[in-house]
Amino acid sequence: MDFVAQQLLTGLSIGSILLLIALGLAIIYGTMGVINLAHGEFVMLGAYAAWALQSFAGIGLLPSLPLIFIIVAAFGWGIERLVIRHLYRRPLDTILATWGIGVMLQQIVRLLAGGELRYVQLPPSLSRPVTIFGQEIASFRVFIFFGVAALFALTWLLINRTSQGMRLRAVVQDPAIASCFGINADRVYAVTFAYGAGLAGLAGALVAPLKSVSPEMGTTYVVDAFMVVVVGGVQSLFGAVVSAALLGEASGVLGFLSNDTVAKAAVLLAVVVLIRFRPQGLFAARGRA
Amino acid sequence: MTKRGNIQIAVYAFVCLVILLLPFVLGNDYLLNRIARYLVLGLLAMSLSLCWGYAGILNLGQALSFGIGSYCMAMTLKLRTVPVQTGAGGLPDFMVWNNVETLPWLWVPFHSTTFALLAGIGVPVLLAALLGWFMFKGRVTGVYVAIITLAALVVGNLLVIDAQAYTGGFNGLTDLAQLELFGITFDAYGRSTYYLCAICLTFSLFAALALTRSKTGLILQAVRDQENRVRYFGYDVAHYKSFALCVSAGFAGLAGMLYTVVMEFASPTFMGVPLSLSVVVWCAVGGRSSLLGATLGAIIVAGMQNVLSEQRAFLETWTLIMGAIFVLVVLFLPKGLAGLSEAIAGRLDRSRPSALVSDAVTVEKNIALPEVRR
Repeated sequence: MDFVAQQLLTGLSIGSILLLIALGLAIIYGTMGVINLAHGEFVMLGAYAAWALQSFAGIGLLPSLPLIFIIVAAFGWGIERLVIRHLYRRPLDTILATWGIGVMLQQIVRLLAGGELRYVQLPPSLSRPVTIFGQEIASFRVFIFFGVAALFALTWLLINRTSQGMRLRAVVQDPAIASCFGINADRVYAVTFAYGAGLAGLAGALVAPLKSVSPEMGTTYVVDAFMVVVVGGVQSLFGAVVSAALLGEASGVLGFLSNDTVAKAAVLLAVVVLIRFRPQGLFAARGRA
Repeated sequence: MTKRGNIQIAVYAFVCLVILLLPFVLGNDYLLNRIARYLVLGLLAMSLSLCWGYAGILNLGQALSFGIGSYCMAMTLKLRTVPVQTGAGGLPDFMVWNNVETLPWLWVPFHSTTFALLAGIGVPVLLAALLGWFMFKGRVTGVYVAIITLAALVVGNLLVIDAQAYTGGFNGLTDLAQLELFGITFDAYGRSTYYLCAICLTFSLFAALALTRSKTGLILQAVRDQENRVRYFGYDVAHYKSFALCVSAGFAGLAGMLYTVVMEFASPTFMGVPLSLSVVVWCAVGGRSSLLGATLGAIIVAGMQNVLSEQRAFLETWTLIMGAIFVLVVLFLPKGLAGLSEAIAGRLDRSRPSALVSDAVTVEKNIALPEVRR
């Protein structure tokens, strides 16, 4: 029983981080069809912002979170205006362009902050472990879990219950008709992209104390996050939650049964098979195909 | 059209001639080895251009075929080394370190070089056939093809690194013997290797060109532009796409084998994600729908990378420069350098009507794309 609880908690912890990173990607890909390979670099920027704010301005991790969101979102907005905007008609080319942007961001950070590993301190109030189901777990992981849940709820409300969200849904359904009704599709895209980038920044800041911060850290996340989005179904936020939990648990359990490499390979293969038979994802939004 | 076709052949022949005559001008063996390396990468880029530019299959896992080819060649060469430390029956040194007692069955056929040469092309082709059948029978298209091929590459890479006792893991296969074929020894720093690469590249370029100009090539291009219409005409689209993927994998496997000969080792980075994405970059810069453009794109970009990364001034900024160039090319030159040169040629020869036709095709494609996005 102890073992099951332990595995469950490990899986949930991996899954919540996955979801956090995938959420921004899901919004950008699901609404705009842009495959953002620079998403991992947005995560990395968030982590570096947390590090910089902590070591130069002396701001702790928790108070700096809103600031990090704004910084990375502004960054994403700039990239959308400069590059992505020109590529909406060529979705496959966004893979290439965002990859180029990712390479540049990595190198810029390496030049500015140095290539060595950086560390972000845990907030002191969250550094003690807590006990759940008889298992000790770092309270920061619990914090991430609830933080992700809150962010997810907020995102869902933004999309489904605000006028800005309604404009976004209209543009996703039919950009031309939405424009006829006076919606500025260009602006909606820019804001959406910025929001997705901001979420990635937050993810980076939250992951930073758990792992070391390096210019290459983003590349490992982007593939996993992408798998979450694909498995969950492109336009379904709830699908992303389930698939993040599923993939998190799967890699947790498989990693325990064999080694991490085989676990990763097995999960990837399962995803490939899934794409083949359900390209719309496990939880595709119903409606027009 | 025939006039244009003849010009195309003349340009291809000219470039190949330059490549073949280069050793008479260059006396530096080290430089020759470098250029041979770029030629091999050019061949790899050409293989991707064949399936991406001509059949519309964005294969992000092209390095998988390349890596398999490279390992096949390395395995047979490894079994021929005069080893420092070996176990019973000429067991490769790293297997001894990993406490492997007998040669694994997978390695046994590689005592024959002929088998290795066949496997270097055959295994990638078989794998591509399997992957193509798996994807295209289910009508997986566009972005999902990119994801599946990328995932296949990552899985292959992980498995090779994980099976350290059989593949050398992270270190790859080093300390290889020199390839011997028809009584010629191919020293990596000799002219023979350069000519081997140059001749393979020339042969592959013309073979691929012939393929693109055949009826099959025409159907592939039609599939790229309007897959459904081709299907309505009664063609088995999955069949044609799998075929393109296989041919492209075969050329990539050949490139991988040559790469081992030139570099004198095989490493998991040869089937890594960074290399695979670089190939896409080369194709995009050179012109994805031009075989020669992709080849030259690889030679130029890889060459520039090497030159820039060696200069003190650019030591730290060259990736930045490469990234910027790449983004600019994607934004402003979607057809790459080949498209640029075609546009310039078109300006010089305004009366040619075919330029108008190709413009019309691009416009139609742009309109059709949102449909693909869904």
